Amino acid sequence: MVAQLTKNERQIALVILLVMAAVGLAMAAGGRNDPFGVHGALVMVVAILGMFGVISGYYAPEPPEDRLDSYYDAPSKFGIIAAMIWAVIGMFVGDWVAWLLAYPDWTFDAAWASFGRLRPVHTSGVIFGFGGNALIATSFYVMQRTTRARMPDQLSPWFVLLGYNLFCVIAATGYLMGVTQSKEYAEPEWYADIWLVIVWVTYFVLYMRTLARRKEPHIYVSNWYYLAFILVVAMLHIVNNLAVPIAWGSAKSYSLFAGVQDAMTEWWYGHNAVAFFLTSGFLGMLYYYMPKRAQRPIYSYRMSIISFWGITFFYMWAGSHHLHYTALPQWVQSLGMTFSVMLLIPSWVSAGNALMTLNGAWHRVRDDAVLRFMMVAAVFYGLSTFEGSFMAIRPVNSLSHYTDWTVGHVHAGALGWVAMITFGAIYASVPWLWKRQAMYSAKLVEAHFWLALAGTVIYVFAMWNSGIIQGLMWRTYNESGTLAYSFTDSLIAMHPYYVARAIGGLLFLLGAVVGCYNIWMTIRTAPSAAPETAADRPVLGGAVLQPGE
Amino acid sequence: MFGFHYRLERKAIGLVLAIIGVASIGGIVEIAPLFTIHQTVEDAPDMRVYTPLELAGRNIYIREGCYACHSQMIRTLRDEVERYGPYSLAVESKYDHPMLWGSKRTGPDIARLGGKYSDDWHVAHLNNPRDVVPESVMPAYRFLSRAELRTDDLSNHLKAQRRVGVPYSDDMIANAAADAYGQAAPDSPQAEGVAKRYGKATNIRAFDGKPKDLTEMDALVAYLQILGRLTDAAYKPMASAEK
Amino acid sequence: MMSIDHDILVWFSKSFGLFYLIALSIGVLVYAYWPSNKKSFDQAAQAILVDDDKPYRG
Ligand code: HEC
Repeated sequence: MVAQLTKNERQIALVILLVMAAVGLAMAAGGRNDPFGVHGALVMVVAILGMFGVISGYYAPEPPEDRLDSYYDAPSKFGIIAAMIWAVIGMFVGDWVAWLLAYPDWTFDAAWASFGRLRPVHTSGVIFGFGGNALIATSFYVMQRTTRARMPDQLSPWFVLLGYNLFCVIAATGYLMGVTQSKEYAEPEWYADIWLVIVWVTYFVLYMRTLARRKEPHIYVSNWYYLAFILVVAMLHIVNNLAVPIAWGSAKSYSLFAGVQDAMTEWWYGHNAVAFFLTSGFLGMLYYYMPKRAQRPIYSYRMSIISFWGITFFYMWAGSHHLHYTALPQWVQSLGMTFSVMLLIPSWVSAGNALMTLNGAWHRVRDDAVLRFMMVAAVFYGLSTFEGSFMAIRPVNSLSHYTDWTVGHVHAGALGWVAMITFGAIYASVPWLWKRQAMYSAKLVEAHFWLALAGTVIYVFAMWNSGIIQGLMWRTYNESGTLAYSFTDSLIAMHPYYVARAIGGLLFLLGAVVGCYNIWMTIRTAPSAAPETAADRPVLGGAVLQPGE
Repeated sequence: MFGFHYRLERKAIGLVLAIIGVASIGGIVEIAPLFTIHQTVEDAPDMRVYTPLELAGRNIYIREGCYACHSQMIRTLRDEVERYGPYSLAVESKYDHPMLWGSKRTGPDIARLGGKYSDDWHVAHLNNPRDVVPESVMPAYRFLSRAELRTDDLSNHLKAQRRVGVPYSDDMIANAAADAYGQAAPDSPQAEGVAKRYGKATNIRAFDGKPKDLTEMDALVAYLQILGRLTDAAYKPMASAEK
Repeated sequence: MMSIDHDILVWFSKSFGLFYLIALSIGVLVYAYWPSNKKSFDQAAQAILVDDDKPYRG
């Protein structure tokens, strides 16, 4: 990888790593008695290792001029592998905490292994580790193809990817040591947040520089979605994480906001993280990989634009539906509910557009598990956005909120939509990126598909049941007008569903492991040795016009 | 050639600005009025700040991720009020940086936990919830009793809290470590200062049963025992409704 | 000096969203259905299917 950098880039890399090592040292010294110091040491070690790497490759010949005749894909390859590793880590921890809710003593008598510290490792691991790496990797791939421009340099994509993964590692190790802001999905502390801002700005600048090199005036719609993901996540991240650290040398900080304002800011962030991290970015993925794999253009390009603005606009108002019947003023709750319900329109337009794209390619969906991953993703996208709008209605929310129904809803989206479209996109790109004819085994892709689908269905059904039962038990009165069930009664009723959920999660995890093996074997086998199957034959350029146009 | 590229870039930047505009206006319009909310919400003159020990306990609550299973926000629904107590008011969390309203009740809401159980109950429960509630799925937190509480940086904590708007006095900041010790050691000379600075109603007890050492268990139990007790505001509308 | 009081802000928030929604929807629809845009949309939709895996250099 150092060999791919120009001399000039190698020098800049060394300077960056030197600065990082110095900052790491200062952190380690300042935070001797604090997890902050541990992270400082980690940063320092990573930077020094990186310096060794750069120095050892420093005198390698510069990359040839003809590199400019091809896209720069090495970072995408790295990102995809990183995404798969994080998938296994994040899902493993997720399934572990799922078992802990059924058998709370399946743990070590150690602080790091308790539910509250492991849970954010799971959520950050899958959202930021798995999802984030997949988004960055595919966005690099897609932005170059759709603009027909190579990235402007070789260093900044690596800075973005490696820097982002450093953020993920700091986040996950921090949780295990008890470093957290407690803001859901924004747990990392102030120094990790600052680092992410630096990485993110570089990402944005890289994207814009590539767009500026394009030849076509029109920017393909996938890029709109990726750009919205980058921009809005930056905005959300900065505002929600405004905080005052207690001192240099301490990991701890206090949020600038308190009480109601803090709650509204947090769920404005939280809900829009769902919108712009888990929806917008992955729609960008969908709008490139699905047409490509199905060999058909998007059913209606116009609709993809209309739903883009709809999603960008509506989501912003919807966050307050997380706070129905709380101390948040009622008008804010009503506003949130209204916009959440309207959100269904652009969401279903997107899902419908995706499914209509497959019209005329259903035989491929039947034969090709990769395309089927994408198709099922679109179906779950439609289902979970409907469910989301439904749950945002105040009376429904009075039952569903605080229960496992929410957890089920989130996983219908996370497993059914986000993970499925990601696996589809990854299986499509691996042969393209590594120049293989097909995945090592189409059968294993098939196996992964069924494991993932079965896992999702079991998970979601278990949580629907437990959530609704829970919600009903908490509000049931007996004839004498008093509450019928104690909290413990509801706890006992949950047990079988918690076991079922953990089994569903296990299936999903197994699928991801199978996927890792398949990808590994694809990369290992020499290009010519790859067996060709109908399902994975590379796309031929046949242009078809969609009836929707 | 230059003109063509200039146009292209303008287009990309236009798209960026449009996204930022469309995406930010909703949030701003919706959140901005909340910062003037104090004009409408009833004030709670009796509201007190967390003592250093309670604040340390709150930070342990955050560190251990208790908020992932417990909410601290009783909604305005009949069954919630009957199960957990008077519904939560905005003013009750006005010093909570960050708020801990929570989003999931794997365990019960604990917004009104203060005074519900004895200190001993909490210590036993945290050491192993299944000793007290056999069906519980809450993790055991045995290590809290073994861990000595860190107090050397408590002044910094209070200072940072003051910077974000919590009214800690210089006196409170200067004596933070001593107050933390004193609150869990009722017979020590430091105990007196706690009552002086934070009010007579402050709980000053050996929370974990061992007045000599100051553990994380002391801090966490001190925090749990003050939940919902920083002000009486929430209990008043109830009382007046009964009349 | 007039201060921005809570009621005014709330009134603005409650009414503004609706107008903003209508204006934005019209804008987006006009853009999407503007006849001269159709060509570049069709082109864009087709372009990604072309299998020429090389950056453009000119
Ligand atoms: C895995 C989820 C989980 C986590 C994490 C968790 N709890 Fe619990 N908690 C429960 C459950 C379930 C109950 C109900 C059964 C029981 O009383 O043990 C409960 C009950 C309680 C109760 C009794 C409430 C009442 O009104 O009876 C308290 C107090 C409590 N937890 C405090 C804590 C504290 C403090 C932490 C963090 C150190 C914590 N919990 C972490 C699940 C959890």
